[in-house]
Amino acid sequence: MCIIGSGISAAMVADKLALTRAGTIVVVESGDEMPPLDRRAALRQRFLDYDENPWPRDHLDGYEVEGPLQSRSMCVGGLAMHWGGVTPRFSPEDFRLQSQFGVGTDWPISYEDLEAHYLEAEEVLGVAGEQGPSEMDPRSKPFPMPMLPLTYNLSLLKDWVAKAGITMWSQPSAKNSVPYAGRAECCRNDTCTPICPIGAKYSPDFTWNALRRANRVQIHTRTLVRRLEVDERNRVERAVAVSRDAAGGEIEFRAKQFVVAGGYVWSSHLLLTSRTARFPNGIANGSGLVGKYLTGHRNVQAYVRLPIKLYPGINEQHSLVSKQFMRVPRRSDGRYLRHDLRVWESASGQGPRLRGDSGALMLGDEILSDWRRRTEQGVARLRAYYDVIPDRASELTLDTSRKNQWGDPLPKLAFRDAPESAEARAWTEDTIKGLFNEMARAGNGQVQRTQSDEFQDHPAGGCRMGSDPATSVTDSWGRTHDHENLFVVGAPTCVSGSCANATLTFCALSLRSAEEIGRSLPSKSS
Amino acid sequence: MLSRRRFLVWVSSAVPIALVARRTDALAAAWIADDAATLRALAEAILPSELGREGAARVAREFQRWIDNYREHAELVHGYGTSALRYAPPSPRAKWSAQLAELREIVGAPLASRREIVRARLKDVRTDRMPAVGAASHVAVALLSFYYQRSEATDLCYRAQVGREQCRPLSASSRAPLPLAGGRVETSR
Repeated sequence: MCIIGSGISAAMVADKLALTRAGTIVVVESGDEMPPLDRRAALRQRFLDYDENPWPRDHLDGYEVEGPLQSRSMCVGGLAMHWGGVTPRFSPEDFRLQSQFGVGTDWPISYEDLEAHYLEAEEVLGVAGEQGPSEMDPRSKPFPMPMLPLTYNLSLLKDWVAKAGITMWSQPSAKNSVPYAGRAECCRNDTCTPICPIGAKYSPDFTWNALRRANRVQIHTRTLVRRLEVDERNRVERAVAVSRDAAGGEIEFRAKQFVVAGGYVWSSHLLLTSRTARFPNGIANGSGLVGKYLTGHRNVQAYVRLPIKLYPGINEQHSLVSKQFMRVPRRSDGRYLRHDLRVWESASGQGPRLRGDSGALMLGDEILSDWRRRTEQGVARLRAYYDVIPDRASELTLDTSRKNQWGDPLPKLAFRDAPESAEARAWTEDTIKGLFNEMARAGNGQVQRTQSDEFQDHPAGGCRMGSDPATSVTDSWGRTHDHENLFVVGAPTCVSGSCANATLTFCALSLRSAEEIGRSLPSKSS
Repeated sequence: MLSRRRFLVWVSSAVPIALVARRTDALAAAWIADDAATLRALAEAILPSELGREGAARVAREFQRWIDNYREHAELVHGYGTSALRYAPPSPRAKWSAQLAELREIVGAPLASRREIVRARLKDVRTDRMPAVGAASHVAVALLSFYYQRSEATDLCYRAQVGREQCRPLSASSRAPLPLAGGRVETSR
């Protein structure tokens, strides 16, 4: 079988198939190998000292695209080489938005269908977590590792939010609270994004290294798949690629099963660039929906000054989380609003500065005295991701004005809210800001500033799953409706983006797809 | 005939830097080493007195090392939500070296006098924030940014062993950080 892409979803599929199925897994990756673990401490230091990219050559030159591309990373391990390792689950409501709230589209699977795969993903990644209240945080088994401890700062902040009637707990994370899977315990280097220097945070290279050591996978790096070709029986016959190191000359990969694991951009892009006279709109695109319904979530953030002595820097990337506002009933006024809630320690607005309140330049002890005075109280960072229902025109299309060096059009991205989300946006953000104000008041604090980012985080979609081939690209397993040996896995298959970090869900979906992919492959024992 | 130092000052103010950047940078490498005393005097004047003379000298040496190890055009960390890539700008070494040369009079001067001289040099620096070190328009601001962005400066501010971005036991995160030697940590509990 052939997997195109080597990010976290590809790693999940390969890991599961290698465990249960015989045969060789071929992975084709356009990007480079990333530096091994023993070089990461030095690379991290360059990042801290000079803001240098700790993942050198993790991108392809000439891929400046129009629209909000989440990241330029194209490398072995993909974006998850520099992810934050934050792993909440979606909530049951995410899978039934239309039937429960009258907005968006229901998924063809339920939370219960995915629960076993969430557990599996948590095992593979190594998730440290705290069980939240069961009505907010349903799960059938404990986390594989004890939670990351609440820091001194977070314990104080938890007490504060409790005064506002909000229950929060330790954010589940793919970071080792104890040694796990041969990797070290987290020691709070606090640069999870962009780089963990000791491998306490999961990244896909650990899976690839293990599979390569076991001789279960061949990874062809610096090899860009330009198109998939379909035979007369509507099966994908071969992937046609080029080597980035050799001029001209196509390379072909033939397999019984093809798995497209290129994330929310490059998966749809490959299907669209595989267009031919027979498939003028690209392959797997009988519905016309390849590249459509790109989804994600926007956020509202606030910085709250509180009469609490905090020590920012104890573990700034760890947070409290609540699902109290995700697990809500349908509102009587018909409006739709769901959001998560996270709280971090922060030093925002409290850093050392050059000029004092009078505007005079400070030198020597003046700067330190001013800094100490301004840090007598603490600052909390609050953020809510809120659900955005995607429009059909939230899309990836081919950009005829920009091409890569092989003449293939680059993608163009445009995110658009469905009318129900667009209409509710201002009210949604005002409501969340109102909550932040209530929280601040409960602790005798004050909101210093709020902000909302325009881009949608944890982007997904473009090959959404569904039961009806007229309204979806894949079935619930990620198998494309049009080509029975072609799967799309992970982020692109999402129907909607929830209001929480989505990587664990991408992994769970990929592991579920692997189950179906594996059915046509010989078992390991045979 | 121009001395090397005068040549550098003249070049940085009068000639398009791009034409001579490589040459001036090469000269500046040696010059900052020559001006180590000026850099130390500057550090003593503008960094917190709690560092002491030795501490200020140490920070000055580490700042020098930072400049020495700067890599022009290095790829910088990716922005989020954009496909644009960023690269490190040309080294500020030549500019800072020239500015340091203009500060030689502070060597041996009382601390208060040194600060007045530095204030005069920084009169056109309008920013309130500590810039990224490499983006600082003046060597004195660069040195301040260099120090205050370090983990040890945070510890000094809080008078506690926070150890920001240092490898520390996870289990110790649940308690208030220990005080710096000889001190006491203030807690909200």
